[in-house]
Amino acid sequence: MNRIKVVNGNEAAALAVKMSSPDVIAAYPITPQSQLVEYLGQYVADDELDASMSEVESEHSAMSILQGASLAGGRTFTATSSQGLALMYEPYFRTPTLRLPVVMAIVNREMISPQTVWGGPQDSLTLRDAGWIQIYVESNQEIFDAIVQAFRIAEDEDILLPVNVCYDGFYLSHLTEPIELPPADDVAEFLPPYEPDHILLDPDDVMSVDPLTPGHLLMEYRRRHMEAQQRALQVIPQVDEEYAGLTGRSWGGLTYSYRMQDAEVALVTLGSMTGAARVAVDNLRDEGRKVGLLKIRVLRPFPATEVLCALQDKRAYAVIDRNVSFGWGSGILHTEVRAALSGKNIPSLNYIGGLGGEDLTVQMLQDAINELVQLDCEAVDAPCRWLHNPQRSGDR
Amino acid sequence: MSDLLNEVMQRDDLISPGISACVGCNVELTLRLVMKTLGPQSILAIPPGCMGGVGVVGYGATTGAKVPVFFPLLDNTAPMLSGARLQYEREGRDVNVVAFAGDGATVDAGFGSMSGAAERGDSIIYICYDNEGYMNTGFQRSGSTAKGSWTSTTPVGERLGGKTQHKMDFPMVMAMHDLPYMAAASVAYPQDLVRKVQKAQQVPEGFRYIHVLNPCPNGWGFSAEESIEVARLAVQTAFHPLFEVIDGDFTLDRPVSEPKKVHHYLSRCRKFSHLSEVETEDIQRVVDRRYRRLQALVSGTGSYEAASDG
Repeated sequence: MNRIKVVNGNEAAALAVKMSSPDVIAAYPITPQSQLVEYLGQYVADDELDASMSEVESEHSAMSILQGASLAGGRTFTATSSQGLALMYEPYFRTPTLRLPVVMAIVNREMISPQTVWGGPQDSLTLRDAGWIQIYVESNQEIFDAIVQAFRIAEDEDILLPVNVCYDGFYLSHLTEPIELPPADDVAEFLPPYEPDHILLDPDDVMSVDPLTPGHLLMEYRRRHMEAQQRALQVIPQVDEEYAGLTGRSWGGLTYSYRMQDAEVALVTLGSMTGAARVAVDNLRDEGRKVGLLKIRVLRPFPATEVLCALQDKRAYAVIDRNVSFGWGSGILHTEVRAALSGKNIPSLNYIGGLGGEDLTVQMLQDAINELVQLDCEAVDAPCRWLHNPQRSGDR
Repeated sequence: MSDLLNEVMQRDDLISPGISACVGCNVELTLRLVMKTLGPQSILAIPPGCMGGVGVVGYGATTGAKVPVFFPLLDNTAPMLSGARLQYEREGRDVNVVAFAGDGATVDAGFGSMSGAAERGDSIIYICYDNEGYMNTGFQRSGSTAKGSWTSTTPVGERLGGKTQHKMDFPMVMAMHDLPYMAAASVAYPQDLVRKVQKAQQVPEGFRYIHVLNPCPNGWGFSAEESIEVARLAVQTAFHPLFEVIDGDFTLDRPVSEPKKVHHYLSRCRKFSHLSEVETEDIQRVVDRRYRRLQALVSGTGSYEAASDG
């Protein structure tokens, strides 16, 4: 029987990890992820979770321990944020290139400097080309569901890649919402045991792992890795569909469309801002504006076809970025979406806001939609616009 | 030859023949002895360094070892092994998880993560082969390079004469981690080395560490046939004393009652050929001080053991 539980995002993640039965967890605490590690430690202490837990001295070692455990055949989990992810970069890049199906939650937090501890997905978005699958979620229920799905996607024999489930620090990690928990037996059935033979350290079956590799072989590894990423475009929606059969909940697979059918213009979002954007769309629909919403759920692999299909018949679209792409003069999501629509001459606006934990309000998003509706086609190459909260502008 | 060494020498060599180590390399000899002692129920981590470079982890589709072997990163050898060991323990498997890492991967880049694994008591066997620098890439300085040593990044010129800092007393750093087993060993004393590796293996759990000093003929500047002799002089001058620490008890394995003067060791290596008497005296002073400290720890916690070989 399903249970309803009122939890914050970190507890939702911890509950999903518990039901997914990892063998080894290694983690280092960092705001705003720390509670997640504490919950997992408590489950182990209370004998509710039979996992080997290692409280490491750094995120670099957290990922390194998981690599060793995964190479020995274990299912593994960790979580981190911002500076911890940056410190982890060296083994982070190596986890997918070793084809190890590690699952890691990233509790998105802005990168310093300036010194900050608040939310923003700059941390994980900056690492989008490091070979992981990255899923960005909008609610605590989706955190739970996406983590269970992540193990299944990562360990799929056609994929064998690590998966990040990324959720906004504080807005989700510390926000309390009711979530529905499926029966543990259902999850156990959904997640068959991980039994690798593609890469394994086993004295009874001797393998040299990652010897010095000449370029022509390295290129073969890269080609297969890229193909696995592209196969995930099929596998992720299949897993989401199967999960929906189990729980009644689908998250749309790669992208999620809201009131897009007859929309003339669209907002494109990522992460928890989607909730506010949905309200903004509803409000302007009430005023007769034909506006829709496209949430990018999976950033890697990038769902270019879905994005193209969703936006190609729109008059204009606006991408809301809670991050920056230095050197592009815009946000990361905007450059990604525009790349998918290359060849289509559709005007777009880019808004940057909500950095460093700043709020992205419904009003801001409505203002963006109103600008979009009035957009002149000449404005295609307009510089990005900044969503500021005027009430905060007096701060020094 | 001791019975143990004799017996170990009869075992299968778990490192492939024909790996491309330099002539006179005593690290290759150390690795073969270590793996013969530990046996085939082992996995071997060899971070970037000489033994990776000469092909022990393999090249392309080949391998250089007869046990599972892998390249960790330069700075995560210990935690990668910790994770593998955790998984084996869950499966009830008794597998030796073994690091064979140079001083760059141990004293410099890998220190933080190794110290963390030691503090947690992760059940791994960590062997550092200390050849005092990044030897396979042209001998750049490490924290374990001796003071005064020429290296490619601490060259000798008009103004500077080699490395300006003393060698880190890294065996003592690890001794202070209060490990269930820790030892300093030398390839010039193979009976002692093999005994220590076996002892480390027999400790049922926890972090075990062995520090081996491996003078490098090509890098340090002496001929291949002097390889073992120079290593022996490091022990006889108390530059690299052989000792063990078991649960906090220090034992000096080859006490040198009247250590030879350190210049007998330094003068054999071209990397020290520019040292003045004053500079040599400075190294002597630090060697003496460290040896006295070790003796004090031995008399304060453990016991002297008579030499049993060599």
